[in-house]
Amino acid sequence: MKVKLFLILLFGLSFAQAQDQLAVKIIKAVTELMSPENMKSTGTQTITTSSGRSRTFEFESYMGGKGKSTLTRYTKPAAIRGQAFLTLNNADDIWTYFPRTKRVRKLASHAKKQKVQGSDFTYEDMGGGDVFMTKFTPKYQGDETINGDLCWKIDLIGILDQDPPYPKIILWARKSDYSPVKLDYYDDNNFNAKTLSLSDIQNIEGTPTAMKMLMVDHQERSSTSMETLEATYKWVPPKNFFSERSLKK
Amino acid sequence: MRPVVLLLVLPIMLWSQPEFYGYFESEADVMQVGGRSYYFGYNKMRLDVEARPSDNVLIGANINIQQYWGQTTWNLLDFLPVDIWQPIFQPEFVPDSLWVREMSYTISDTLLLDNIYMRVSFPFIDLTLGRQQVSPGVGYAWNPTDIFNTKTLLDPSYEQTGISALRAELPITSRTTASAVLQPEDSWEMSTKQVFLKTGLGSFDFELTAAQFRWERSFLTPLALQVRETQRTLVGGSFVGELFEWGLWAEGAYNELEGAEDFLEVIFGTDHTFDNSVYLLLELLHNENGIAQQGDLTFDAFLQSLGGETHSLMQDYAFVYLMHQTFDYVSLSAIAIANLNDQSGTFGPQLDWNVFEDTNLSFQSSFSWGDDDTEFGLQDWGFRIRILSNF
Repeated sequence: MKVKLFLILLFGLSFAQAQDQLAVKIIKAVTELMSPENMKSTGTQTITTSSGRSRTFEFESYMGGKGKSTLTRYTKPAAIRGQAFLTLNNADDIWTYFPRTKRVRKLASHAKKQKVQGSDFTYEDMGGGDVFMTKFTPKYQGDETINGDLCWKIDLIGILDQDPPYPKIILWARKSDYSPVKLDYYDDNNFNAKTLSLSDIQNIEGTPTAMKMLMVDHQERSSTSMETLEATYKWVPPKNFFSERSLKK
Repeated sequence: MRPVVLLLVLPIMLWSQPEFYGYFESEADVMQVGGRSYYFGYNKMRLDVEARPSDNVLIGANINIQQYWGQTTWNLLDFLPVDIWQPIFQPEFVPDSLWVREMSYTISDTLLLDNIYMRVSFPFIDLTLGRQQVSPGVGYAWNPTDIFNTKTLLDPSYEQTGISALRAELPITSRTTASAVLQPEDSWEMSTKQVFLKTGLGSFDFELTAAQFRWERSFLTPLALQVRETQRTLVGGSFVGELFEWGLWAEGAYNELEGAEDFLEVIFGTDHTFDNSVYLLLELLHNENGIAQQGDLTFDAFLQSLGGETHSLMQDYAFVYLMHQTFDYVSLSAIAIANLNDQSGTFGPQLDWNVFEDTNLSFQSSFSWGDDDTEFGLQDWGFRIRILSNF
């Protein structure tokens, strides 16, 4: 009887270990996909408030160092034309530029949780990098079908001493190409505060790329959709591109 | 320098398919000072034009057209404590019938070529030539290292007027930049020169600066209003970073004056966004160039402060800014400015409404406190409506 119990426990432990290893492998592949070496894109961002009113912005965006550095500059509408923000070290350091005053402001880390241009994305959400791997512990939760795609479901549990942006995220990634298709963000009260849905995944220069993203804030009942108009992974940033110098251009 | 820049810049600009944009702004104000009401306002249009003849060249210019209405001629004495101007304008030995109680200043409609510049980016240096906006410093309400601009405390983030200058920015690493600004005058000695070295370490940015310029200040003499120049050398610096999720910054400058007393000017600031999304900013100023005691205030000190020649009338001030995005497209905010030396101040609640995609409507009021002989105490209240539409 004792031998049987030991074998069951051993099997259980081995199974759990294998599941954890699978989760780590999936998150590593998702991170590599979401954080290409470099990327340059243009897109639109439409914010829809709880009252149903919407505003659309156009922007150009640059990513480097596997998502550790980003630069986003708004091109339309006229009211925010030229406003830009630069994030370094996975959005740990943020600078914003206001063309009307020609001033660059460095934002403290409390600003990471602020909405970018009133959207449902925070500066932290816009930053990329290896945050899922360094600030979360992944747990495989089985397979589920999302919008007809068979997906892995992974719980990302925030590692407290790593200052994770959310205590918990549930991520669904397509089994076919590791593309994430849905992320549920949980707050401190374990409430599903926001959901990000990624769709219209196209193969651009060999990389599956979500051309549409929709972030829904369940508390404020607002949403922000981002649509990629053009994207390339072949862009190579000039030396010291991710700097105040580029921010002001 | 301006005609040369115009001749150089305009043909290139017209040839390289420029972009036009700008805004229209209209403002209406009512203000009560010393028991008397004033009604005034303006309509302003700013037209920007920007051209990129090549990837490394940017040409920009803007014209401001501003038309004032309501009260356009102001008596400066209405805004000063009686004890300050009476000994000069109503001396005891002058008979009542000869008293002059007016020092008037008229604001005229303007058509201003505010900026016109060309920026050329080489791999190792950026050069900007022409009339351009230069805004040094990290402070929000005050910038001790800024020798080019004057900020309005009730609206510190309003755009600044351009200066004719040559600016060179030399990137050394991604976070280290050396730069220099030269505002040419008749001679090298008369010209304004300022250099900067900025770098970053961890989550902090640091900047060192040095400047030399002719500092103009106004003085009232028995004969006329005189502008005197003093050679001023400034050595200063700033940092911006954070501690326990509170933004922290400081900016200071030591000013050496030829034939006058040197002075130190420094600010400390902090900001934070609370969990309920309320944003708080606090800034403190200590300016040794200001007057320490209320009893030592002079007419000239007011003149220089109102004219933006000095950064503050007295020595110690506090500035507080609170903001909350309360509804969709509506934010509520408030500014409080306190003169810690004469215990006077002003409180300005504000509502900003993004009415349409490119149109903002704001309502701002101000309520002052303090005795009638203090900096802010003489002003009673004010109300402002401003509409701004970008195109």
